[in-house]
Amino acid sequence: MPAYNLDVYMPVVILMVIAIVMVVGALLVGKLLRPHNPSELKEQAYECGEDPVGTAWSNFNVRFYVVSLIFIIFDVEGALMFPVAAIFKKFNGIAQGGLVLASLLLFIGVLVSGIVYCWKKGDLDWVKSFTLESYHHDRDQAQAERKTA
Amino acid sequence: MMNDNVVSFFSEAPPYQALNEKLTYLLNFDTRGMMAFVVYFVAAFVVVNVMALIGGLGTYAERKISADIQMRQGPNRVGPFGLLQFLADGVKMIMKEDILPKAADKYLFFIAPILCMVGVFATLAVLPFSSGFTLTHLNIGVFYVLGVSSLVGVGIFLGGYSSNSKWSMLGGMRGASQIISYEVPVTLSIIAMVMLGGGLNFQTIVDGQGGLPHQWFIFHNPFTIISFVVFFIGMLAETNRAPFDLPEAESELVSGYHTEFTGMRFAFFALAEYVEVFVVCGVAAALYLGGYQVPFGLSSLEFLHTKVGLPMAPARMIGQFLEIGGFVTKTVLLYYVVIWIRWTLPRLRVDQLMTLCWKYLTPIALFNLVGIAVWIYLFNGESMWNLVFKTGAAAAGHH
Amino acid sequence: MFDNFLFLSSAALTVCGALAVVLAPNLMHACTYLLTTLIGVSGLYVTLSADFLAATQLVVYVGGVVILMLFAIMLTGGNDNKSVNKFGIEKVAPMGNAKTFTLAGFSALIMALVILKIIANVNKATPKTELPPYETTVEKIGELLITDHVLAFEISSVLLLGALIGAALIARPRRREE
Repeated sequence: MPAYNLDVYMPVVILMVIAIVMVVGALLVGKLLRPHNPSELKEQAYECGEDPVGTAWSNFNVRFYVVSLIFIIFDVEGALMFPVAAIFKKFNGIAQGGLVLASLLLFIGVLVSGIVYCWKKGDLDWVKSFTLESYHHDRDQAQAERKTA
Repeated sequence: MMNDNVVSFFSEAPPYQALNEKLTYLLNFDTRGMMAFVVYFVAAFVVVNVMALIGGLGTYAERKISADIQMRQGPNRVGPFGLLQFLADGVKMIMKEDILPKAADKYLFFIAPILCMVGVFATLAVLPFSSGFTLTHLNIGVFYVLGVSSLVGVGIFLGGYSSNSKWSMLGGMRGASQIISYEVPVTLSIIAMVMLGGGLNFQTIVDGQGGLPHQWFIFHNPFTIISFVVFFIGMLAETNRAPFDLPEAESELVSGYHTEFTGMRFAFFALAEYVEVFVVCGVAAALYLGGYQVPFGLSSLEFLHTKVGLPMAPARMIGQFLEIGGFVTKTVLLYYVVIWIRWTLPRLRVDQLMTLCWKYLTPIALFNLVGIAVWIYLFNGESMWNLVFKTGAAAAGHH
Repeated sequence: MFDNFLFLSSAALTVCGALAVVLAPNLMHACTYLLTTLIGVSGLYVTLSADFLAATQLVVYVGGVVILMLFAIMLTGGNDNKSVNKFGIEKVAPMGNAKTFTLAGFSALIMALVILKIIANVNKATPKTELPPYETTVEKIGELLITDHVLAFEISSVLLLGALIGAALIARPRRREE
């Protein structure tokens, strides 16, 4: 049994159900109205008139994965900071603001040091830095591999 | 008062209480929950319909404003000034053949628009239209909006994935990664506003502001102005609006994640996008621009009931409608700016997009967060105008 | 009335979603079923009056972890819908042997006992009375985070720092040292 009256959450459920009913209902009603004459060409994936080659479900770059990893970390930080931010004003009113500010600053400071580290190491670059040195390194390595093969 | 919502607003009226007593007497059980459900349902139904209308008018506004900017006419045939264009579009959409690509994942193809719609519509529950006519003032308001709107990102990704088309797949990947990246600066900006407002509830945050611009949080201190800009840019990116419309970049990806979607399925993606723009503009208005606050307390009972002398019931209703007017005006102005930006700025590249997010907006948002926290601590949460007035008054007193 | 409905629908979402995740042969479909499970769990938190936790569940899991999983699947080339994966291992679970059946039987027994214990407590619950209006847990959490649990709060930031650096390290292009 819940400790509080949950009626305030009614609209959330109602709206979610309305959204689902709306999509499904419109698709069902549309079924009566719309034409249905499929053909081989229509059901092809659109590739500007070319016949699609292979599937689109191929390996994607690791960058997307890393972005979402970093995002989750920031997300959790945000989730931890929200309640502290919410009571900051109240604590400031009773002259305890310094305590909250100090713990918040420490928390953000650790976070900032992480960002600075990633920035310095070039992990925040979408296009990984491409220097002449790295080019020569990659070229030599490729040549060495070709020789062994 | 905390936890004001449409049910508590109506339940203060005598007819509602009388009806409740009558029903309880007739049906022999506590009908308050049932009454609340009916009121919530009707209110939610009205809100959803109004939002669908706003979404439709949004497409019209988009076309008309873009036409103005490019010195064209825009839609002008259907109805006065072409206002009914969106209805014609809707009829066209529902009459269109529903094409299911053979290679597509049928189940995900079906579920993707639903996820987008659920994510957007669930945020409407806490959108603060007015102090009384909000569906519900959840105590976790802002955080809840962040949570449910993330369903849209999943919907966009699955829309791209399920089509099994290269364009769609690229658009879906870009869309999801862009939405999650820009959620970081947006969240940090919101945390700063939560600090100023002293709670996650939209009502708490809006009530912390006033009707006049100098009482709004955007002009509270120098940091909040920057915070608003960061929030606005992040918001554009989260709703995939230009200059961040890479997921549906028509010149590179045909139509992005909804390339393969036809008819009503496409219409729901479009509707979700336009309603989401309205919702985030509403959130921006509530957090930074005073939300439903009306200048000079014109909407308060004190003014309408005591000073003007209106009877209680009309005074309450008029007050609420004035507040809705205030909120919608601010939101629609922001909506206009969003459309204006779309037709003014060119699109970013993916690497520019990520650089902007991680190397500019996130550090700035963090800096702002610290700045606002220190400001609240040093000046006890007073706005810069109050400080100026106080110093002015003190200086005047000394002379 | 509504609390019962919310609890039952959330529980149904959670359990059905979890079952579907296990039974789905398609990885992407399993991800969407996991989504319903996570939303169901968040609904359960709401019925337990833990509103902030419910929202955190939505923000972190629905917004973050599910998308991370989707990207991870795409990283490995998406779901190819074959019954044999890249390494030639069949995706159909083996039927099991005496050892797995014994283990499964024991775990089922323990689960059943736990559930029985919980159900036995339900009858002892206080009779239904007037429920107070919803109160926020945000402020309580916030106060605890900077008073009693301030150390945990600060240490969690160090933990997250470690995770951030780890995530960055994984992504770094590796150069083979000669």
